Amino acid sequence: MHMLVVRDLTKRYPKFTLQQVSFALRPGRIMGLIGKNGAGKTTTLKSILNLVRPDGGQVEMFGQDFYSHEESCKQHIGVVLGGVDFYKHKKLAQITEVTKRFYANWDDRAYAKYLEMFDLDPDKRVHELSSGMEVKFMVALALSHQAKLLIFDQPTSGLDPVARDDLLLLFRELVRDGSRSILYSTHITSDLEKCADDITYIKDGKLLRSGEKQEFIRSFQALKEPGEDGELTLEEIMIRSERRRYRV
Amino acid sequence: MSNLLYKELRLAAHPNLYIFALLGMLVLVPAYPYGMVFIFGCLGPYLTMLYGRETNDLYFTALLPVRKRDIVKGKCLLFATAQLGQVLISLPFAFLRTRLLPAGNPAGLEANAAYYGFGFLVYAIFNFVFLTEFFKSGYKVGRAFLLALVPAVLVVLTMEVLAHVPALAWLDSVQGADLLRQLPILLGGIGIYAVAMLLTLRLAAKRFEQVNL
Repeated sequence: MHMLVVRDLTKRYPKFTLQQVSFALRPGRIMGLIGKNGAGKTTTLKSILNLVRPDGGQVEMFGQDFYSHEESCKQHIGVVLGGVDFYKHKKLAQITEVTKRFYANWDDRAYAKYLEMFDLDPDKRVHELSSGMEVKFMVALALSHQAKLLIFDQPTSGLDPVARDDLLLLFRELVRDGSRSILYSTHITSDLEKCADDITYIKDGKLLRSGEKQEFIRSFQALKEPGEDGELTLEEIMIRSERRRYRV
Repeated sequence: MSNLLYKELRLAAHPNLYIFALLGMLVLVPAYPYGMVFIFGCLGPYLTMLYGRETNDLYFTALLPVRKRDIVKGKCLLFATAQLGQVLISLPFAFLRTRLLPAGNPAGLEANAAYYGFGFLVYAIFNFVFLTEFFKSGYKVGRAFLLALVPAVLVVLTMEVLAHVPALAWLDSVQGADLLRQLPILLGGIGIYAVAMLLTLRLAAKRFEQVNL
């Protein structure tokens, strides 16, 4: 069974349309959602989560229709929206104390374990955390209610290379036993070279391609220029797919 | 439901919500337009909504295992708790003032049954206009506040003016017989408040369903 199946997801704004985006995420996989700024990555994630109201399409999570089983599906997901911090002046302990009440599977021992593992001090306030630690706090909350699907919107943007590498190693570890999956959007393609299993590429609101990483990279080799050796990287694929020609 | 309210009180509420609820005690001030108490009862929730925009409160709640309409329900519960709390806090002081200050309130309406009836009407109008307007966008707090404050203040002004009309002296009384005469105003206010909160929840939730966060 897939963790997440997105079919023909459509969202229309006056000046932008997300058009019939479809992809599927299997258990134990990390899928990178790539595209340049404004391509529709965040709109895709927000539409999946019903934060924005899609105009069409279906989202199936853990085999259930998400929109008609929103509460039960959300019991098993963890979401981090990059650059959105909550209750900056509250202590982590206070946010946790409220959050845990909403989850049937909350595990206090697991939470204590992750706090220690991530070196998080529950008496610290959110604004005292670095961006990387904020992501880790959200991951700790998600893992403590035994989330099976983690959805991250640009979790590594704004992080230094060391903090990014640290998070990517953590992501790999999270999916290692096959019980969890991660869907995360980024425009830092080098992160995906390191940790993604699958790539979904959105360009101007349309799905360009979704597939296993190596297969995905091979499918874009036609973009190579004469005399070039070796495979194109994800970054080169993105740049060449998006490149515009100016005639001034 | 209790989890939603707990979240509102622990994370979303601005400290001023509690301070303004405590201002129910103002009915002990010898000469004061007590209608202001209800305006404070609207100001506290408004400041909390302003604070919520700063703390990304709606996003946080939307990511919890709840439906979008539950976010609206949480806010309705918070408003009702703050306002009913304010009324409950003010009641002992209203009784106390009849003992300590039997001469009455020269500035406006006495803190009597009619006063609380009008108060519920003020809350009801404010909540309906504010919440249904706010949840059209999920962020335009100032506009919603201004639109809701105008009719709320008009009701307060009306009740304070009525207290000075000689023919309506019974409205400004704390005597047993007059209090009985005021009872329908109190019951009517409570009824309107209850119905308005249900309508507020229904319409605001319907509007918020369409909002893109």
